[in-house]
Amino acid sequence: MGKTENLFLFFKKWSRGKGIEEIMNSQSRPLLDIKNLVKDFGGLRALSNVSLNIQKGEIRGLIGPNGSGKTTMINLITGIYNISGGAIYFSQDRIDGLQPNVIAGRGVIRTFQIPRVFKDMTVLENMMVPALCQQQSMAEAKARAEELLEFSLLTRMKDEPAKNLSGGQNMLLQIVRGFMKKDLRLYLMDEPFSGVHESIKGIIIKNIKAMNQEKMITFLIVSHEMTTVRNLCHRISVLHKGELISQGTMEEVANDPLVIDAYLGGE
Amino acid sequence: MLKYRFNSVGLLLLLLIAIVLPFYLADYWIHSLTVALYYVIMAVTWNLLGGYTGQFSLSHHTFAVIGSYTSALLIIRIGTPLWMGIVSSCIFNAFISLLLGILCLRMRGIYLALTTWAFAEIVKSYIRMDFQFTGGDRGLNTPLFFKTIDPLPYYYLFLAFAVITILIIAIIMRSRIGYYIRAIRNDELAAQAMGVNTVRWKVFSFMVASVLASMAGTLYGHFIGLVSPVLGEFSEMAFIIIFVVIGGMRSQAGPVVGTISVRFLAEVLRKWPEVRMVIFASVVILIMRFFNGGLIEFLRKVYQRIRHGKDGESVSVFQKME
Ligand SMILES: Nc1ncnc2c1ncn2[C@@H]1O[C@H](COP(=O)(O)OP(=O)(O)O)[C@@H](O)[C@H]1O
Ligand SMILES: [Mg+2]
Repeated sequence: MGKTENLFLFFKKWSRGKGIEEIMNSQSRPLLDIKNLVKDFGGLRALSNVSLNIQKGEIRGLIGPNGSGKTTMINLITGIYNISGGAIYFSQDRIDGLQPNVIAGRGVIRTFQIPRVFKDMTVLENMMVPALCQQQSMAEAKARAEELLEFSLLTRMKDEPAKNLSGGQNMLLQIVRGFMKKDLRLYLMDEPFSGVHESIKGIIIKNIKAMNQEKMITFLIVSHEMTTVRNLCHRISVLHKGELISQGTMEEVANDPLVIDAYLGGE
Repeated sequence: MLKYRFNSVGLLLLLLIAIVLPFYLADYWIHSLTVALYYVIMAVTWNLLGGYTGQFSLSHHTFAVIGSYTSALLIIRIGTPLWMGIVSSCIFNAFISLLLGILCLRMRGIYLALTTWAFAEIVKSYIRMDFQFTGGDRGLNTPLFFKTIDPLPYYYLFLAFAVITILIIAIIMRSRIGYYIRAIRNDELAAQAMGVNTVRWKVFSFMVASVLASMAGTLYGHFIGLVSPVLGEFSEMAFIIIFVVIGGMRSQAGPVVGTISVRFLAEVLRKWPEVRMVIFASVVILIMRFFNGGLIEFLRKVYQRIRHGKDGESVSVFQKME
């Protein structure tokens, strides 16, 4: 019982709503609209009837115990896997069934739980790839890359092959590389803070906040770090065993008995 | 920056030597240099495919064979003019490589290697079997490009074609397509998630490499005056890989340096063919194990050592290589 209380207090302590009323109350159609999403892997139902929508300019947190389907959700949105049922709309267009590169072309970028950088290419060359997939000139892309690397304190590593980077630096590069997409609109991040040193974590958070405020980029962030999620996200969605069990501000979610149950492993 | 300058200065020097060289050489050596230039084209184009794009194709030599036969058969069986035979061969190979490229799209590593190897065997076996049409093992006599057996004009023809091929690939690799192709080899899924149309650029790379190889094969037929299944032997493919690996995979000058030096060594050791193969194979093993960058990386290090001296900066350069 003591354990329950601790966790509950932890949730309560950090659960203060962030000024998002304008976004939540906005009458506009959501940027990302997921309807009754289902995903089966053979006999295993990884996601069942998940409906979720995210407004433009929102930073949404996605939490849930291991194996609850968070990564699968990102893989479905970005077209890495085919959906088994339901529909995904992005800015009013249906995007499920499209190739991953086409979805990326619409401005939906993601990071991977285990960083996937181009190891034999330098840090700068890594940055160039997403920019050069659009109609950006080499010079323009390079200037932007240098600016972003500077902001993320990676300038020193610019000409190193990415394989020489540490795990945390790889994660940072992976994240900053996504910002090279000029018409980035929705950024999906799969556990961007796991295995990352505090100082790099700070840089990642700084990046997300800046991009959200300056460019109105929308984020969906999967993370286990409640402190960071609370600090960063306007609203939180909770997945458990492939079902969306709760949604709302950190306060609402933390007080939801279903969530407390899920996190305490109530089988 | 230093790397680029080193590359282009080296290549320009090589080109200058290549242009004046025949004036000092006997016909025999001009002939074998022309053959070497054919292999330069094969090596450089395979490097685009197997090196930069990561599609370890084992049917690259087969495109040279298909190229030479397409042109020869059109000229001999239908009587088309030489130039039309060559142009048709180019178009036909673009089509075949498109089909094979699409077939291999979802394959990687060993699966792609096996599929392309099977394709190579099918083509070779067909040529052997359908001897009434293809001439079988004896091959077919085909018209000479310059209507002479003097190797000198052929030497310049192949030199020009090799330079054009090297330039085409250098331009591709420095353009945005070069970034896509390298990203695809490093991590196809991540490349796709960044917006790279992996299907398009893998097929593109396959087609560019194959069509250029087929053109080299076509011209080779009209240089020797004979097309035969010998160019379709697996050992031909093995040699192309040997040239690239010894010279330096995924570098632009590597395959050129590799081909010229191995071919030269092959000529010197001509009297002992078994010894020669043992030597090449051993060098490949040694390079794979100890010196991934190949000859070109070795030359680059020597060059840096000369430039910077034994002390000082060279130390840090070597440490960075680790
Ligand atoms: N490619 C796959 N094949 C089969 N099962 C999978 C695959 N990917 C995920 N799963 C299963 O789907 C469930 C959800 O996994 P995942 O989305 O990775 O969870 P999370 O990211 O929330 O930890 C797990 O039971 C996992 O084993
Ligand atoms: Mg996961």
